[in-house]
Amino acid sequence: MTIPGSWYLVVAALLFGLGAFGVLTRRNVIVMFMSLELMLNAVNLTFVSYARMLNDVGGQVDVFFVLVVAAAEVVVGLGIIVAIFRQRATVTADDISSLKG
Amino acid sequence: MIFANVLSQLPIALPAISYKAVAPELVLFGGALLILLVSATVGKRELPGLYRAIALVAALAEGGFSGYQLYLAQGAKASLAVAGAIAYDGFSAFAGIVVAAILLLAILIGPGFIKRIAGDGPEFLVLMLISAMGATVMAQGEDLIVIFIGLEILSIALYVMVGYRIGDGLAREAAFKYFILGGFSSAIFLYGIALVYGATGTTNLAKIGAFLALNVLTHDGVLLFGLALLLLGFGFKVSAVPFHLWSPDVYQGAPTSVTGYMAAMAKVGAFAALIRVFDIAFAGQIVQWRPIVVGLAILSMVFGALFALRQRELKKILAYSSINHAGFILLGVYAGTAAAISNTLFYLIAYAVIVVGTFGLVSIVQDSIGVSEGSCSLDQLRGLARSRPALATVTAIMVLAQAGAPFTTGFLAKFSIIVSVVEIREYWVAVVAMLSAAIAVAFYLRIVLAMFRGEPEEVEGERVLAIQGAATEAPARRQALAWIGVSLSLVFTVGFGIFPQPLLDLAARAHIVG
Amino acid sequence: MGYLDWLIAVPAVGALVVPFIPVSEERRSLIRGFGLAISLVELVLAAVVGVQFNSHASGYQFVTDVHWIQSFGVSWFLGADGITLVLILLTALLFVIAMFAMKGVKDFRAYVGWMLLLEAACMGSFTSLDLFAFFVFFELTLIPSYFLIADFGMGASGKAAVKFFVYTFAGSALLLVGIVSLVFIHDSETHRLTFSLPALMDTHLSGTTQLLLFLAFTAAFAVKTPIFPFHTWSPDAYRAAPIPAVVMLAGVMAKLGSYGIIRFDLELFPSTARSLAWLMLTLAVIGILYGAVVAAGERDLGRLVAYSSLSHMGFIVLGIFAFSTEGMSGSILQMVNHGIYTAALFLLLGMIYERRGTLDMAKLGGLQKRAPIFAAVFMLVVMASVGLPGLNGFIGEFLILVGTFITHRWWAVVAVAGVVASAVYMLWAYQRVFHRSQADASPFGEIKLKEALLVAPLLALIVLLGLYPAPLLARIDPTASAVVQHVLAAKGPVSDGASLPAVVKGVK
Repeated sequence: MTIPGSWYLVVAALLFGLGAFGVLTRRNVIVMFMSLELMLNAVNLTFVSYARMLNDVGGQVDVFFVLVVAAAEVVVGLGIIVAIFRQRATVTADDISSLKG
Repeated sequence: MIFANVLSQLPIALPAISYKAVAPELVLFGGALLILLVSATVGKRELPGLYRAIALVAALAEGGFSGYQLYLAQGAKASLAVAGAIAYDGFSAFAGIVVAAILLLAILIGPGFIKRIAGDGPEFLVLMLISAMGATVMAQGEDLIVIFIGLEILSIALYVMVGYRIGDGLAREAAFKYFILGGFSSAIFLYGIALVYGATGTTNLAKIGAFLALNVLTHDGVLLFGLALLLLGFGFKVSAVPFHLWSPDVYQGAPTSVTGYMAAMAKVGAFAALIRVFDIAFAGQIVQWRPIVVGLAILSMVFGALFALRQRELKKILAYSSINHAGFILLGVYAGTAAAISNTLFYLIAYAVIVVGTFGLVSIVQDSIGVSEGSCSLDQLRGLARSRPALATVTAIMVLAQAGAPFTTGFLAKFSIIVSVVEIREYWVAVVAMLSAAIAVAFYLRIVLAMFRGEPEEVEGERVLAIQGAATEAPARRQALAWIGVSLSLVFTVGFGIFPQPLLDLAARAHIVG
Repeated sequence: MGYLDWLIAVPAVGALVVPFIPVSEERRSLIRGFGLAISLVELVLAAVVGVQFNSHASGYQFVTDVHWIQSFGVSWFLGADGITLVLILLTALLFVIAMFAMKGVKDFRAYVGWMLLLEAACMGSFTSLDLFAFFVFFELTLIPSYFLIADFGMGASGKAAVKFFVYTFAGSALLLVGIVSLVFIHDSETHRLTFSLPALMDTHLSGTTQLLLFLAFTAAFAVKTPIFPFHTWSPDAYRAAPIPAVVMLAGVMAKLGSYGIIRFDLELFPSTARSLAWLMLTLAVIGILYGAVVAAGERDLGRLVAYSSLSHMGFIVLGIFAFSTEGMSGSILQMVNHGIYTAALFLLLGMIYERRGTLDMAKLGGLQKRAPIFAAVFMLVVMASVGLPGLNGFIGEFLILVGTFITHRWWAVVAVAGVVASAVYMLWAYQRVFHRSQADASPFGEIKLKEALLVAPLLALIVLLGLYPAPLLARIDPTASAVVQHVLAAKGPVSDGASLPAVVKGVK
């Protein structure tokens, strides 16, 4: 039995939603960061599924671009988090509240 | 064996690269690499003069190449290069000129002040050049993935620049907030790309346009959802209401020179891409996206102006002002005619120069009162008109130019957008836009009034000390280059405000053909 | 460059130079001298224009017309007719006086700079015949006047300044959209993108479009004038702002509104102006009576004069929309007269305020005994403002009432009540301030030589124009009758298809 492509898309959408939910609601900086990565990987899954469904290699190539970009984001993001951690010794975003809209 | 087999099966052909097309990016990147190389090979790390010189040359060369492209492109259809992933046409060339203008001013203004908080290392200029390269990639991207990569090059460099005052709590938080929400919006944007890819089978804008022109989608839900996500991502990047929540904090927390640079560069990149994606590739879907864009525009204009009224912090006020401006620029995208796109480009260059100049002046003011690059309350401006009349006057002119005062490019920019909106006969939108400008003027005037009100001697002892402390460090020398930058932006703003025809002609050449 | 270009350029350059004059705080009177010099040069220029003006012609004179922004079809198009001429003269004169009346100003540099910028903007507004240029200058007046109101105010000036600004800017927001819409309608008809007033006068507009555009234009001018329901910013601003600023605001800026109505509303939308004349006349009459009634109930002399100003501006609007040559000439003349006596009145109020620190009539009284000359001067100005024959207020008001009576009898009759009321409350106020036994026993200084010199030119004009208004009227009349002819001759809106006689009958 083959699983239809749309199932992968649904899983990807769920993962993306989960990631978005995590970024917006979680207070732990590391978890927020992980949620962000989850969103990016959900997109990757979408790309791959579509590439398979459309029988087009372009979508698979796009995934590589996304991976590279995600890696670059990790470098900068962790750098900022480490800088905060050094000063505060905490990674909870609630402590980062001096700025208010 | 397997590798060769795969290569022969996959339809991958290495594209021919037109170096003429990507010259602006190459020059900027080359400049950045050269600065890094020099700093690594020459034993001394701090060579501010040399770094600045290299960066300036790179910026000027980028502007030159873009100008050459604009000269070549007039009247011609967009030329595609690098397997159709990069477009170079009048539009991207004009955007390249805007990028060069921002870079030029920011290089003159910024480093002298950044030096006081982070020394004279090469990194700041390198980040600046790389982020500018990201903006040019966005302007030239003819493929959604290329636009995404440009967006990320721009954004990641900006995340670092925003966090430059790492010793300061506000700055760290601003950097983190900018990073998380920036990454969030990038992910949304990317998901939009994936859905558009799923609906049309390609990420190339030209092919998407061709596909949509030939096929009628029976189920266009995926495409429309993808479009909505793309708009959402752009909305975050240009800080349109209701996706603006990050920007006041980031504007306040970032070093002032970076704030001005970011406000200008991020908008140029994002709007250039926005216009190319929506006004060109998805021109056929205009009925679907237009209501959303006009909604975002009106919300941004009205709420940007209203929220600014209750702020007391100068950089936050300017953040809301930039939200208001974003609303106006979105109106140009909304109008979407060829003339409207030219007018939008005119708005972008006018806004970019004014905003970099304004924040440069804020830097100078802050430098003079000893709060280097941090946040700045309106009270700190008291009595400026009497202690430094020339500085106050120039600041007043630039702030009023943001408000759209007559005889500045700020006025003509707003005027040209109103013209574009009236041209498509959306009179009520034009009225709302002008009324929002009326509200916005109230807070711009508060800034100017703060400077013209009060006596310098009312200042508390602390600040007087700060002024003296700054004086011993010879601020005149530090500020000299910044003054050149600010003067350039002033001359541009007032000069083209009175005689705008050459600039309008240039923007008119930058028309874009689908 | 023609005279009109210089009229704009001289104060504009002056304003740009002021912040950069390298003068220390101690020798700041040099800056004042600079401002005076510029405004005197301006007065001389205006006088030259007045002398060279051909009083027999009704068209535009001293015309400059060069391309400015081709992309938008904007040109630098200046010209002067009779209306423009008298307003230029008034503006140049009042600015000189305002420059002299700098007593109590803290920051000379800012004051002189903003004043000169305001003068340039006013001159530009009065002379521009290109709608874009007009709008630009019209907007530009707001910025300096905001700072002049807010910067050196006596009380809650910040709030009043914001109110002033938001009201007027909202009005001009509509004006801009109206202008651009009109230009694009014209463009779609003729394929010629232009903001030039004479060209746009030929635009064919449907009835509804013309009505909407008329309302959009009038909104801006009605706020500025102010016309009755749009006046609420004015008493606050007049009361809160420092005296020199009020002189400019009531003397010159208010005229921008009535000038705009004549120049743009009537020229561009004559048939709508005619069909809505009843509305404007009614608003004018309400303004006259309302201003008079509220003024009569005011205890504060400053607010009283502000409301009387509203009442008097109502007369000007009345004369404009009467559509008779007498009414129009009277209105234009009254703009000048009102500028002169209101300026004098506010200057005198400033002197009272300076001496007593209040304009509350309950706290003033018996000033006549202590300062008889001051009282006499004040009396003269009050008499001019209530329209005593022989003084300048009379001629304009008389012409307006006669002109209105010819075409709109009942409005004129009601407006006469305003004249009577105005005499009552002004004299009443005079009596309370100068005659009644005094509440405050402290001395009240007689008018000083400097102060006398300040108001002397205005007093001279009050008498001179009262006895011999012919030089001004001769220059106003050709223009006034041309405007009236234009309005009366205009065909109805294109789609309504009303024939000319029917429309003319409607007016009668």
